[in-house]
Order: sequence, then structure tokens, then C-alpha cells
Amino acid sequence: MRRQLSILVAATTSVVVVAFLLPLALLVRTFAADRALRAATQEAHSLAPIVATVEAPALADAVDRVNRSGSRRITVFLSDGTTVGAPARRDATVELAARGRSFSTAVPNGRLVLMPVQAARDGNAIIRIFVSNDVLSRGVLQAWLILGGLGVTLLAAAVAVADRVARALVRPLTATAAVATRLAEGDLSARVAPDGPPEVRSVGVALNRLADRIADLLTAEREAVADLSHRLRTPVTALRLDSEGLRDPEEAGRLGADVDILERMVDQIIREARRPVREGVRAACDATAVVAERVGFWRVLAEDQGRRVALTLPGGPCLVRLTAEDLAAALDALLGNVFAHTPEGIGFRVRLTRSNGSCRLLVGDDGPGFPPAASPARRGESGTGSTGLGLDIARRAAQAAGGRMRLGSGSRGGAEVELILPPPG
Amino acid sequence: MAELLLVEDDGAIRAALMRALSTRGHAVRSAVTGLAGLQAAVDTPPDLVVLDLGLPDLDGSEMLKMLRAVSRVPVIVATARDDEQMIVRALDAGADDYVIKPFSAEHLDARIRAVLRRTGNNGSDAPIVLGDLVVDPRSREARLAGRPLELARKEFDLLAYLANRPGQVVTRRELLTEVWQLPYGGADKTVDVHLSWLRRKLGETASAPRFLHTVRGVGVKLVAPDP
Repeated sequence: MRRQLSILVAATTSVVVVAFLLPLALLVRTFAADRALRAATQEAHSLAPIVATVEAPALADAVDRVNRSGSRRITVFLSDGTTVGAPARRDATVELAARGRSFSTAVPNGRLVLMPVQAARDGNAIIRIFVSNDVLSRGVLQAWLILGGLGVTLLAAAVAVADRVARALVRPLTATAAVATRLAEGDLSARVAPDGPPEVRSVGVALNRLADRIADLLTAEREAVADLSHRLRTPVTALRLDSEGLRDPEEAGRLGADVDILERMVDQIIREARRPVREGVRAACDATAVVAERVGFWRVLAEDQGRRVALTLPGGPCLVRLTAEDLAAALDALLGNVFAHTPEGIGFRVRLTRSNGSCRLLVGDDGPGFPPAASPARRGESGTGSTGLGLDIARRAAQAAGGRMRLGSGSRGGAEVELILPPPG
Repeated sequence: MAELLLVEDDGAIRAALMRALSTRGHAVRSAVTGLAGLQAAVDTPPDLVVLDLGLPDLDGSEMLKMLRAVSRVPVIVATARDDEQMIVRALDAGADDYVIKPFSAEHLDARIRAVLRRTGNNGSDAPIVLGDLVVDPRSREARLAGRPLELARKEFDLLAYLANRPGQVVTRRELLTEVWQLPYGGADKTVDVHLSWLRRKLGETASAPRFLHTVRGVGVKLVAPDP
């Protein structure tokens, strides 16, 4: 913006300078020529009495003296056809002047001033003064240089002032933009110190208000979630205590298992509700680091159970729109599923790849695959008491990150779950 | 067995807990508000207070501070908010232990017994020695043959829980509810993976265990290895 303002001011200033200086320069040139011609005419006038009265030899002396001292060349054509002074031909212009008219005319290299003089003795003598172009434009170049210098100085001053103004405008704007960026990156403590012109100042104030509002909303959200946790868990506690108090052990056991499921569901709901509080304004993490860490964590159990682990990671970091905590929970759920639903000794693979800017996290095992007919998300629900929450956690994480979950089977028939996670926007 | 004061505003929980704790042999009194609880605790000091943090009249941790100003009675805090800050605040305010809702009566009873054991007899917090393994619950340190073990928080909790019950088979379900305070889900492998890490840090393998023995289909136990 600073540059653009400077260019704008430079352009307008130069238009103004050219509009004033160009006519002025032409005027200077005309004025100089006029002055030179006027001087020549005056000289002719002052020579006229001498030409009229003085004899030829003395006249020649006088004219030669003037020619030597001045920059003009004077020729006097006498009525007897002789010339005095600078040599010149008696051409048509001289003949025209001989008829009694004085005038000036342009010739190559300069101008002529011609003036007839009524001599005392006989006929007209003509004074011809040649003014060269050099004399006509004497001082013009100097004047032009001064004018040009003035123009350049004006332009430079205007640009300098414009740059100063632009800087004063841009500085508060840049500071405001920096605060907006920090807010977008999740630093809610960032505030603008309002500065600069009123418009920029009002943007800063509005941004501060927006940041306050976001912080308030997050606080309210945190409160609401804490309250939700309290409101849901208190009745579940009562239910659990009551179910334990039942006399029939079989009934108590069955109800207890149901309360277990209810508790896990409530935990899951509270966890989901907490996501905005956890994430703040912007969630992002490096999937490569998280996957490497979590697979490292589960690897010891895999080794104890004789499972082969194949881990493939991309070369560099792979950013996704999830907190590290949520991505780790999703991967833990998927890996926990592998351990829970395949017999010991069955290997599994975790592959993180990048494609089209997204990260693809694949967890596949060499087990029997998803049971047919049953919805995979509910696998094991009846058999082992699992509620299928593992896949649910992973799917919700993928959806919260703006991606999706894909279920399939590997080349050897094992279960495969893939999370497609777009980069943080 | 012990005289308890239950400060809880939820009627259903209050009734169920009073019944459950009474059947486990405790004499239970109850208070519905923080101020009433405070009054009861001062007038007739109980052996232990079970305090719900979400009271209608007083913030639980405030009430805890007020109670601590006049009494050294052991307090177990019950809360539905499982955020760390809340728990840390309660412990700093003078709570001896905490349970997160939803909890079972059995779980609460176990904690009541543990706290009473600790406060009644300081010796029970002494380091537990199993062969060349020493677990010190107070400094949260474990040493193997004199060398300190680098244990994560849950790994230490797990080891301490097992060390408190040497030779006793503990089920995964129990570990999940007692150590993690999580409801049992059948498919949960969290306990297994932590046991694997613990085993590794104890310098043993599942096939050649020294301290940590798996009892197939039942659970695990921590024993002193044969010399």
C-alpha cells in the first residue's frame, strides 16, 4: 500500500509539474528570442543617425567596431550599392527594405532585422542585422535546467511526503492485521492497541470486541459443558448405586452392565461436547508425530502378543485439523479394536500417507475382517460387551476434522479402517 | 465400622449411598447443603466426610477450606466434573482423596477404607517392598534393585495398586474402574498396554515373568519373585 500511494502521488505530481513547466519553458524561449530581436532593432535605431550623416569610410569604422564588440553581425547597404560591415549579399529581403519598410525575417541559422534609413545625400541605405540562433536562445538552456531541477525537486518532495503519510497509515493497519492473524491462530489474548486514522482505529476496536466475544463464548461453552457433565453424571451415579442395591445378583449384574454402557455413552457425549473447548479457535496437529508416538505406545503390547506391526509414515509432517489429543484418541480406539477383535499373533499395519493435501490414516489387520451382515460400527456389541464405541470415536474425530471414515477389507481379507483427514484451513 | 458424614444435595444419590454404605457397616449421617454439612461436621465430628463439590449454596472447595480451618477430619470429594483443575483445587484445599461420578458404592467404600487406613495409621503409607522392588506411594517413586524406575503417572498408579495387594489376582475390570476410573467396556485394551509397559520397565517379559504374572482369563497379580 505504501508503494502504491507513492506511485499515485508521483503520477499526479508529475502531471501537474509537466502541465505548468512545459508552457513555461516555451514562454522562456519566446521571451529570449523577443529580447534578442528587440536589442537588434534598438541597435539599428541607434545606428540610423550615423548612417544618415557619416561618410562611408568613417561609417565602416563605426560599424566594424560595433560588429567586433557585439554578437550580432551588422551590414549597411549604402544607396550607391556598396556595403559596409559584415559581408552580405544584397538579396530580395534587402530590396524589400529598400522600399521603405523595416521588418524582421527568419533565415537559416537565425533571424534578420532590416531597417531602411533616409540618407542625407541620396536614396535609402539599409541596415541589416543578423541575429544567430545562439543569440536568440541565449540563457534558455540555463532557464530550462533550473525549471527541470525545480520540477524534479517538487516531485521528490511530494513522494517523500506521500511515503511518510503512507507509513503512518500502514503501520496501524499492519499491526491490526498481525493481531487478526494471531486470533485466527487461536491466541485469544491478542488485542489491538487502537492507533492511526479513525477508520483503522475503528477496525481495531471492532476486532478487539470480536476477540472478547469469542473468549466469552468459549468460557460460556466451558461452563455449559461442565454443567452438562454434572447433570448427566449425577443421575447415572444414582442409577449405578441403585442397581448395586438390588437383591437379585443376576438382575444386579445385568443392570450393572447396562449402566456400564450408559456411562461409556455419557463419557463419549461429554467428550464430544468438550471438543470446542478443547480445540479453542483452531485445532491442528502433526499427524506424523502423533501416529508415531501412539504406535510406539501400543507396540509393546503387540510384541507381548506376538503381533507383527508395520508402520508407514510420510517423510515430513502431515498437518490435520484435529487436536493431538483427539487424533490420539481416534487412533487408540482403532488400535484397541484390533487388539480386542483379532486373536493374538495376528499382525496389523498403520499407514499414514499424504494425497491431494489430505492425510490418509489406514489401520488394517490380518484378521478375519468385519463380520458379514452386521454393521461394522457395532461389531462385537453382543459378543464381547463392546459397544462399538471405538469406530464411533474414530468416525466422529474424522468428521469433526472435516474428513470421513472409510471401512473396507485388505487384500488378505482383514478389516481396514481409513480416516481421510483434510489439512487445517 | 466408621461414622460418616455425607454432604450431597441430590436426593437419589444421597438415599442410595446411605443405604449402600450402611449395608457395608458404616454409620451414615447426611447433610443437604454445605452450611448444614459444616455445622454437622463441627457439632459431632465424624470419622470421615464424603463431600459433593456441586452443592447449591456453597462452592465445594470453599466449603472444604472453611472445614479445614476448624477440623482435620478426613474428606473424600465426589465430583461430576472430571477436569484436572477442579480436582487439583480440591486436593489443594485439603481433600484427602476424590472420586469422579459415576462411581460405585464398592469403589467409594474402598477409598473410604484406604483413607481411614492412611489417616488412622501413618505406617500404611510406608514403602512397599517386594523382593528388590520398592514402591513408595508418598514420594510416588519406585525403585528396582536401588535404581529408580521411570514410570508414567498411570503406570505408577497401576503398580502401586497392585503392590498394595501382593499375591492377589486383580481383574482388568477392577483396574479400569479403580486406577482409571473408567467404566468397563469389555474391549478396552488400555489396561493391557499399560501392563505391557510396566512389565518392560520391570525388566521382564510375559513369557518369563518375575513380578507381574498374568492369570489367564482372570487378571494379573504382583508377587515377590522367588529368590
